[in-house]
Amino acid sequence: MDFLLHIIALMGMMLPAILGYNLIFGRGKILHFGPVGVSVMSAYAGVLALTATQSFVLGGISALASALIVSTFFAWLSLKLEPDGLGVMSIAVHLAILAVVLNWNGLTRGALGIPRVPRMPFLDSVADFALLSVMIAACVAAGMHHVDRSSFGRKLRALAEHDWHARSLGIDKAYVHFTAFLIAGVCSAVTNFLFPQYLVLLHPNDYQFPALVFTVMLVVAGGPGSVMGVTLSTILLVSLKEALRFVPLAPSVLGPVRLMLFGAILFVAVWWRRDTLFPKARSV
Amino acid sequence: MQLLWNGVVAGSLAALIAAGLALVYGVLGVFNLALGELVLLGGYATWWLHQVAHLPLIISIVGGLIFGGLCTWITFEVFVNPFYKHHRFLPLVTTIALSMILDGLILLIFEERPRSILSTGKHIYEVGPVHVTLEQIVLTLIALGILCAFAWMFHSTAFGRRIRAVVQHDHAALSLGINAPLLHRFVFIMSGIFAAAGGIFIGIDQNLTPIFAFPLTIKAYAAIIAGGKGNFWGAILCAYIIAFLEQFIVGVHWFGLFYIPAGYQQTVALLFIILFLLFRPQGLFSHTKRTA
Repeated sequence: MDFLLHIIALMGMMLPAILGYNLIFGRGKILHFGPVGVSVMSAYAGVLALTATQSFVLGGISALASALIVSTFFAWLSLKLEPDGLGVMSIAVHLAILAVVLNWNGLTRGALGIPRVPRMPFLDSVADFALLSVMIAACVAAGMHHVDRSSFGRKLRALAEHDWHARSLGIDKAYVHFTAFLIAGVCSAVTNFLFPQYLVLLHPNDYQFPALVFTVMLVVAGGPGSVMGVTLSTILLVSLKEALRFVPLAPSVLGPVRLMLFGAILFVAVWWRRDTLFPKARSV
Repeated sequence: MQLLWNGVVAGSLAALIAAGLALVYGVLGVFNLALGELVLLGGYATWWLHQVAHLPLIISIVGGLIFGGLCTWITFEVFVNPFYKHHRFLPLVTTIALSMILDGLILLIFEERPRSILSTGKHIYEVGPVHVTLEQIVLTLIALGILCAFAWMFHSTAFGRRIRAVVQHDHAALSLGINAPLLHRFVFIMSGIFAAAGGIFIGIDQNLTPIFAFPLTIKAYAAIIAGGKGNFWGAILCAYIIAFLEQFIVGVHWFGLFYIPAGYQQTVALLFIILFLLFRPQGLFSHTKRTA
């Protein structure tokens, strides 16, 4: 029962960040590979403020503010750079932030991570986390569904399909991109404020490159842009990832097997979704 | 002086890997994020042939290069070719998937232990204040020789002219009877052979470990972005510049005032990518696509 609650809590906590990224990468077709860069900034800013002040409000504000600052930077880059340049740049920014986290030992404790992260008073057990995260995930999913169906969602879709056709129809690309990135930033802050509290530990290994691959895989496998599809893929693949712990293999074998399995799933998902991931522009 | 020599050795390795990648980007316009793993596969194949199968070193190196070429060909046929015609951004995602698969495979087969292609000790010489190994001198000269030979082929032969025509304009070259799809394969496989040569370089000069893969990929991309995407010579020059900066900036006491920890070494290449994409996205030596 505890394991089931653990999986539910994990899914619920991850879903806001994944749905936020789905809005950018899946619906907006913006080649942004920096969601984990936003996560690592948000998580560290939140936990450092929380441990320094013991105030959950200040911790939350700090996590939100840093997520929004990094998201604004990525939104600005998305307007300035070519799509493939943005892809490489966002990976570089993510890894540069991680390098600072790993090397600034005096502040972040480097590769050791930050232990004994305080939990909010009403979050004592796994069941409490599961209940809260499911409620938050349901609200975020409903909100994303609404955003997807709104005029903003249609503008994002139009820009994704044909940039200058959309702009010639009066769609403000800067407004749409900044809004999409900021929504994703808020979602990321929610996930990354809760997740270290759940683990009682903030560790840089949770924000390495494989975390990005897992995020991209969830969006591609669920159907880029589909709120329902990405929610389902998160449920299935997070369960699979956690269930792999019970496979009777040595840890030295299980780690590589997990890498290969998720790499293969990502490849198959791209193959399967190659018409919808980056569709060809319609022409007259 | 020691740092200068270290920069020459590291720059030759990076130039070897980045040069092939620059041509791939010039011809196909795709990013191959599994490049670091292909580098390691060439090195590990040579290590296996020499240390486990006990073949002579030269035959092991040739075997490693052939294996690297074969792996790159399979990469092209399975992970790039079916996707890049559909949309040129798709290989960016499929090669991320491939890098995960190869990372797992390398960890499973070769484990995390460092592997050195040469079992004997290195031949160390002292040239003034500089410690130099015979292996480093030979490897650096061979790397420069390979790059010069490829440059001669690229600039002075009919085959090289065809490649340059495809780099300048794919469709125009095709309309002039140049078999562009064949050249796409050739250039991609050549980049894999260069990468495998880089892996052999690492395996002889240092040790092969799985954690090298991603930093190598990042350094090669920093060089091609700074050099002007698709510019062969720009990538080589910038690979050397990055290698020198890594040696001179990181791990050195600056005027006795401050010190940048060695853990930031990979960040030099990342900063190169960030600064060039922000302030000069076309790179140092960009060339424009010719139009009628």
